[in-house]
Amino acid sequence: MTIELLFLRLAIALYLAGTLAALVGIAVRQDLPRTLLPRLLWAGFGVHAVSILVRSWTAGHIAVTTFDEALSFLALTLVAVFLIVHVRRPLVALGAVVSPLAFGLTLAADAVYRGARPLPPVLDSAWLPVHVVLSFLGDAVFALAFSASLLYLLQERRLKTRRGRGVLRFLPSLETLDRLNYACLVWGLILLTLGIMSGIVWAHTAWGRFWSSDPKLVFSLVTWAIYVVLLQGRMTAGWRGRWAATLTIAGFAVIVVSLIGVNVLQLGQHGKAF
Amino acid sequence: MEAAPASRGAAVRGIVVVGLNHRSAPVEVREQIAFPNGRLEAALRRLLELEGVSEAAILSTCNRVDVVACGSDPDHVGGLLPGFLAREHGVPEPVIAGHLYTHAGREAVRHLFRVAASLDSMVVGEPQILGQMKEQYAVAAAAGASGQILHRCFHKSFSVAKRIRSETAIAEKGVSVGSAAVELARGIFDRFDDKAALLLGAGTMAELTARQLLAQGVGSLMVANRTFDRAIAVARDLGGMPVPWERMTRYLPLADLVVAAAGGDEFLIRPPAVEEAMRERRHRPMFLIDLAVPRALDPGLNGLDNVYVYDIDDLDAVVADNRGARTREAAKAEVIVDTEVEAFWHWFTSLEAVPTIVALREKLDDIRRRELERSLVALGPVDARQRAVIERLTQTIVNKILHAPLATLREHRADPAEAFYIDAARRLFRLGSDPGDDEDS
Repeated sequence: MTIELLFLRLAIALYLAGTLAALVGIAVRQDLPRTLLPRLLWAGFGVHAVSILVRSWTAGHIAVTTFDEALSFLALTLVAVFLIVHVRRPLVALGAVVSPLAFGLTLAADAVYRGARPLPPVLDSAWLPVHVVLSFLGDAVFALAFSASLLYLLQERRLKTRRGRGVLRFLPSLETLDRLNYACLVWGLILLTLGIMSGIVWAHTAWGRFWSSDPKLVFSLVTWAIYVVLLQGRMTAGWRGRWAATLTIAGFAVIVVSLIGVNVLQLGQHGKAF
Repeated sequence: MEAAPASRGAAVRGIVVVGLNHRSAPVEVREQIAFPNGRLEAALRRLLELEGVSEAAILSTCNRVDVVACGSDPDHVGGLLPGFLAREHGVPEPVIAGHLYTHAGREAVRHLFRVAASLDSMVVGEPQILGQMKEQYAVAAAAGASGQILHRCFHKSFSVAKRIRSETAIAEKGVSVGSAAVELARGIFDRFDDKAALLLGAGTMAELTARQLLAQGVGSLMVANRTFDRAIAVARDLGGMPVPWERMTRYLPLADLVVAAAGGDEFLIRPPAVEEAMRERRHRPMFLIDLAVPRALDPGLNGLDNVYVYDIDDLDAVVADNRGARTREAAKAEVIVDTEVEAFWHWFTSLEAVPTIVALREKLDDIRRRELERSLVALGPVDARQRAVIERLTQTIVNKILHAPLATLREHRADPAEAFYIDAARRLFRLGSDPGDDEDS
């Protein structure tokens, strides 16, 4: 087993432990699992980052050009974004959604693991890390928005039906979740916009055209349009709550479809590159 | 009745509680033998005059009366207390006898610990009993009725109550309608200081709930009532703003929380009014609580987006839930009580003369032997005869030192001053200190 794979598996184990800590944390309402969760995720983030750095160093470029690298990198950014939010506002319930997501993504990365592949020379440029980091950070922020929306719908359902005084009553308040959703929407849109723009510029320098027919670009524009409409609705029409949460989830579904679809079916430049 | 077990043949000294509570006696009986605060001191004095009673305290609230007494013969003392209660309140003893419980020895200690920790209260975990107990114990202490044993026992019960409060969630969940409303609102709102509440109806129930909301930090309050004067009075009382009854829907857009506690022949608020209000408040969530029976809010309101309606049954369900949670926590509390009773009982039995005498001898002999060994090493080679002389010397010194204190301890066996001398001896010579106990040093 290579060092990077060893560290990746260590990260998988830590994310799994984080998942358990978060679940126990909401179920029993005790301090230990609640303080354990961020520590496990920080540790997972650390070894995970080392794994990706080692692989990038071996490959000679940032390790996000194959499918398993992409999954792994998305998990890393998701955990990073969650931890940033967690510093400002600890939300164990959010951790209970994010940790299993990170666990699943890294596990999938391990399952489809192939060694590093050489990068086509035309793509070897300073735009690679810029475009990729921006895009993945955007995806991670939207994944967090998705998590918050999921919790929102659960909490809203609990309150409307006036039932579920069990474990669900420890969910964060609707106000907290809606505010987090809004913040993620703004930041996600900024990052997504920059990601698309950097991709376009990069494509122009690489091939002299703007990649107009790439399915990934089409998917990204659809995602972008959904979130712009949502932001517009929030700012002018006072959209919020369940409707905003549903649209957020729809937007994230497009991201997932594009991530899976484009890469599995190997469509366009993104499909080939991975 | 269980008597305090005699320990190692020493004098039987005991602590006994006779009383009644909300479970053992109906309110008609409880109110007859309750002690008004002003009469406590005189009653304590008469209690101390009873034969064999060395220390006493009385705890009297609307839910319970407990008479606590120490004496050399707890069976005898316990037998006197029902008569005492009957005489004090001028009721025939048979009227109350069937409602009284008696706890003696370890069980009496456990009883006091449980009462202080609110495990024996009507609402388990309610905080008032501890304060009442502290106040009434202070009366007994000031009147000179409590002595060393009750002093320790009551102070220990206070610290046990504190420990239970911090180590279990026994008092965490509210069991009033107002606190249940706040708990439900926490599912919707993150903070309350930027929220406004609208009170529809200004009766006692509404006022109580409003107080709970304000205690949670709700930012502002509007009060509407059919008679405007009452709205003004309550609003002034709570620091809110009175709102004319006929124009209440105009104020709906401002309200994040609505408490409806005014009944009527038809619903006070119907969906169209709230729909209108929601548009105006840009769909920020609205939480409506219906305390009225029959209901004042159209249940159809719950179907609107971002509007959450709860009625009195929902609040009662939360209250029942929290009571259940308290009961579960009470099981943990009982375990704490058990260990604390054991620790106290260990101290209590150590107050018997014999173990103290043994411990004192052992301690001094231990010192003697250790110092002897050291000196013998320092002396170098000595023959058997010299060694015997030195040993006898040390033995004699120890015996002479011990003679007077041991004589005093024996002299006071089974008299009221015994515990004092034993405790003094244990403290002076630091015998078998009671770990984790520094409340009354």
